[in-house]
Amino acid sequence: MTLELQLFLLVWGTLVGLDLVSVPQMMIARPIVAGPVAGAILGDLTTGLQLGVLFELFQYDVMPMGAARYPEYGPATVAAVSTAHLAAGTLGLGLGALVGLVTGMLGGVSIYVVRRATQHAVQAVAGRLEAGDVRLLVRVHVTAIARDALRAAVVTGAGLGLAQVVRLFLAGGLPAHGVTLLGVAAVAAAIATATAGTLRVVGRGANLRWFAAGLAGGAVLVWLR
Amino acid sequence: MAAVTRARRPPLGRSLLRLFTVQGSWNYERLQGIGVGVAEEPLLRDLRAAGNGAVYRAAVARGAHFFNAHPYLCGLAVGAAARAEHEGATPEQIERLRSALCGPLGSLGDRLVWAGWLPVTSGLALIGVALGLGMDAVLGFLIVYNVGHVALRWWALRAGWAHGVRVAAALHQPLLQRAAAWSGPAMALAIGAALPLSTAYLAAPFPAWARGVLLGAAALGCAILWWWRGRLTGLRYGLGLLAVAALAGWIWR
Repeated sequence: MTLELQLFLLVWGTLVGLDLVSVPQMMIARPIVAGPVAGAILGDLTTGLQLGVLFELFQYDVMPMGAARYPEYGPATVAAVSTAHLAAGTLGLGLGALVGLVTGMLGGVSIYVVRRATQHAVQAVAGRLEAGDVRLLVRVHVTAIARDALRAAVVTGAGLGLAQVVRLFLAGGLPAHGVTLLGVAAVAAAIATATAGTLRVVGRGANLRWFAAGLAGGAVLVWLR
Repeated sequence: MAAVTRARRPPLGRSLLRLFTVQGSWNYERLQGIGVGVAEEPLLRDLRAAGNGAVYRAAVARGAHFFNAHPYLCGLAVGAAARAEHEGATPEQIERLRSALCGPLGSLGDRLVWAGWLPVTSGLALIGVALGLGMDAVLGFLIVYNVGHVALRWWALRAGWAHGVRVAAALHQPLLQRAAAWSGPAMALAIGAALPLSTAYLAAPFPAWARGVLLGAAALGCAILWWWRGRLTGLRYGLGLLAVAALAGWIWR
């Protein structure tokens, strides 16, 4: 992979990371968008779509409410697609998931760190904010967005670095069965996560019947195809 | 007491643009407060133009106090608080208005967007990809989702500005109530349908034995995550399962 492509992925991952919370929350941070675009950048849309679907399923575990701490799957998906593209074939899915989940965890921690840093920045100028200093208010806000952009770039960069390390040290060392099992584990975990996450939101009321109807409809479509 | 002024054409567009960044300075002290203050500021400029510099600065400072709601509905509080400032409401009234809006706007937005519109549209995108629509499904998701997203932000800001301190009436809008009522069933149906299709799509490259293992591991994982909800996340379960699979694959040479 050329340095130019890595830079494009870094820029895309940064935009994706910014979109999650800061600006503009138009959902390019969703893995189903972040993955295919990363795939398109690499000229490997199929891998991008696969990893996008995989991490979108993991995303159903997360309700992004208030002060809740959660993994960040946008830049993680970009790193996962990069890994899968480098590894190629069935091997890509499992290794991509591994890199993506680790990057997602790192992203979650980084959001907490940035929020604490913004809190300290606000506390440091609280008196002037209480006096209605508009320029300072805007500066604090814009600086916080820049801080989040830097965070997203660092997380994406770390994910892309991890992708290279995994390719170098793991890709060649796994036997054929191991490769398949890794992919199976990734998909099984994603399906389990999405189902359990959705059931938590659906609850035991009438919506559970709608969920069952959806499952039945989807299963029929699979069977028909 | 704030001066009573009335903006002829409030710069709602500028405020809306700033609302897209409302969570940019999210922090553990004021939560969305700073972003809300930044978004409200253009609507308060008339106060300064009317020669009330002190009133303007006090209003800007109030706007940046603690606030927490769904980001797409923050505009309702921004518009309502700005209108109340123009109509001469007391600082206490405005603080009470902001506090009173946090809970309802958060709860409504979570039901309507995070647990409704977003999973419905992303579930449809998953179905589309699994059925072979590829990038068209992804673009369709982005367009359809954001039509609803931008419309909600714009409605919220306008409704807030139109109603001022009586903004609670806007939350009883029939369309909003119907959408909130339908969001749960629609989400359950869309994700329910997306799950088997996504499984089939992702499992396509695997041999038959591996698909059997996949279904067993997914069912077991779902049960584990359900029993240990709140203690075990999908991410940790995923990493654990990958570690087990890597070990099993290494042994099974």
